[in-house]
Amino acid sequence: MFSYNISSLVVDCEIELPGRLAATSNRPAEITIRSAIVPEALDAPIAVAPTWEMTRDQFLLRVPGVARFLVVGDDTILFDAAATATPADLAIFLAGSVFGVLLHLRGYVVLHASAVRVGACAILFCGASGAGKSTIAAALANRGYPVVTDDICAVTIDPVPIVHPDGRQLKLWREAIDALAMSDKAREAVRPSIRKYYVEPPAADRTPMPIGAIYALREPRPPAVIGIQQLPPAVAAAKLHENAYRPRLVDRLGQAGLYFAAATRIASDAGVYHLTRRRDFASMEQVLRSLERHWDAIGLGGRPA
Amino acid sequence: MTTPVWLASYPKPGNTWLRVLLANLMQAGPIDLNTLQTADWTAGGRAPFDDLLLIASTLLTPDEADALRPSVYAALAESAGAGPTTAFVKVHDAYLPTPMGEAMLARGARAAILIVRDPRDVTASMAHHSRVTLDQAIAILNDPAGGICLDDNGVSLQFRQRLLDWSGHAASWLNQRDLPVHLVRYEDLLADTVAVFTEALAFVGETVDRARVEQAVERSSFAALQARERAAGFRERAWPGDPSAAPFFRKGLAGEWRTTLTRDQLLCIERAHGPMMRRLGYVLAHADSVA
Repeated sequence: MFSYNISSLVVDCEIELPGRLAATSNRPAEITIRSAIVPEALDAPIAVAPTWEMTRDQFLLRVPGVARFLVVGDDTILFDAAATATPADLAIFLAGSVFGVLLHLRGYVVLHASAVRVGACAILFCGASGAGKSTIAAALANRGYPVVTDDICAVTIDPVPIVHPDGRQLKLWREAIDALAMSDKAREAVRPSIRKYYVEPPAADRTPMPIGAIYALREPRPPAVIGIQQLPPAVAAAKLHENAYRPRLVDRLGQAGLYFAAATRIASDAGVYHLTRRRDFASMEQVLRSLERHWDAIGLGGRPA
Repeated sequence: MTTPVWLASYPKPGNTWLRVLLANLMQAGPIDLNTLQTADWTAGGRAPFDDLLLIASTLLTPDEADALRPSVYAALAESAGAGPTTAFVKVHDAYLPTPMGEAMLARGARAAILIVRDPRDVTASMAHHSRVTLDQAIAILNDPAGGICLDDNGVSLQFRQRLLDWSGHAASWLNQRDLPVHLVRYEDLLADTVAVFTEALAFVGETVDRARVEQAVERSSFAALQARERAAGFRERAWPGDPSAAPFFRKGLAGEWRTTLTRDQLLCIERAHGPMMRRLGYVLAHADSVA
């Protein structure tokens, strides 16, 4: 068994998960991931989609050519690998989609976001796949800001909104690795068939921490203009739901209220903003400078040494 | 039931103009270009795929994603089917089978409107929109392996969309037998917008009184769109945030090629696309030199 600390949960996994840092905790495992025979379908599902179905206590996800994954209760993940799947294929979907579902089931607020630490707080960047979350986090890591989480961001509200680091390496496309001059830190491909790679962050922080600010990434498509714009609470709530790791799943699980409450708290404690910027690498330096000015303005400070 | 209708086109044929016409018809007042929407998804966008399937499409190869795209369109069509009005869904993909052999776009809609434009005019429009030379634009139109978002070194918010070359794209839609398809030529829409737009609406089963169509056409005039873009910008313009980018609503003319393309460039296009141009009723300038 390999042991990992993912989103403050101790996870025992039968296979090695590349791109993950080993557990630092001596607590017994709260989640077990192991190989098993997983059915094609579930009996009496309460929700069905083309690739997944759900009963009251089980969640089945089929990734064609990779595996069938079954979440049992909220503490066990079983996987049934396809003949063509490599360990890397299994690992990326286990750590991504499947763990994301498990976090949803455990009642976390799960955001589609990457985060770095500024001062004592986590700064989140959310957006759809391809919006540039990981690239901004990597560029900030290059400036010394520790990476907290990449792609999936687990948050609890008790009562302060707290981010739980994912214990993962960054995942970047070849193009971003080259543009950010991070080739020396690039490791194996997340899947042999695609040109996205695990990248060792220059600095990382593995301790839970409060949220300092959330930025939703967007391009300056009219009427949006370049800059940082604070969202009023009602818009922030809609924005947070839109940037849930999987919004439809939130609705299916009856958790829309949880996200609304979280958004209200985050909007008042931290602030939810649009970060409207050109998505090209040439604009990155300017974007980072405007972020640092914004952190000074909202009192986050804490430039890395 | 109002199962969606595809608005299919090779890039730069006036697909956006048709969507503006539809939006102006469906909405009481004049539309805001920057919230232009005739459906809440497009075939090329990744977001509904990831959300519906709980799989990050960026972690799939383009072939793996293509194999799953029909199930997404079927699910979206089913949920849209309960809506009060027809969703008109933009699609640039050529009509092709997935690696599993299933027609990728068969289950997502009940019919398709295919919008075509003279490839000699598409050339200039594409050159401005994509910041390439006319010769580069012609090479794109003539590339049988052409497509959108083909670079696998990075990621886009859109799927890889295979287009084939300009002729292959039109042929793929006109020759398929899964969906009824209605052909709209940009030049005809320009010449008699009310009549051609009304025919397209009748094809999808929408009967609209002439006064409303005329009002939508008036609100969608090229001059009106240009004025709006000058005043408020247009979110679908390429290179967002770059003030030097060419306007989206540039000229909207038919036959501009007569003054913009050289004889060699015309020959290059007509030799590659002569048969499909003839099939669609475009008169060749150099018929003698084209087989």
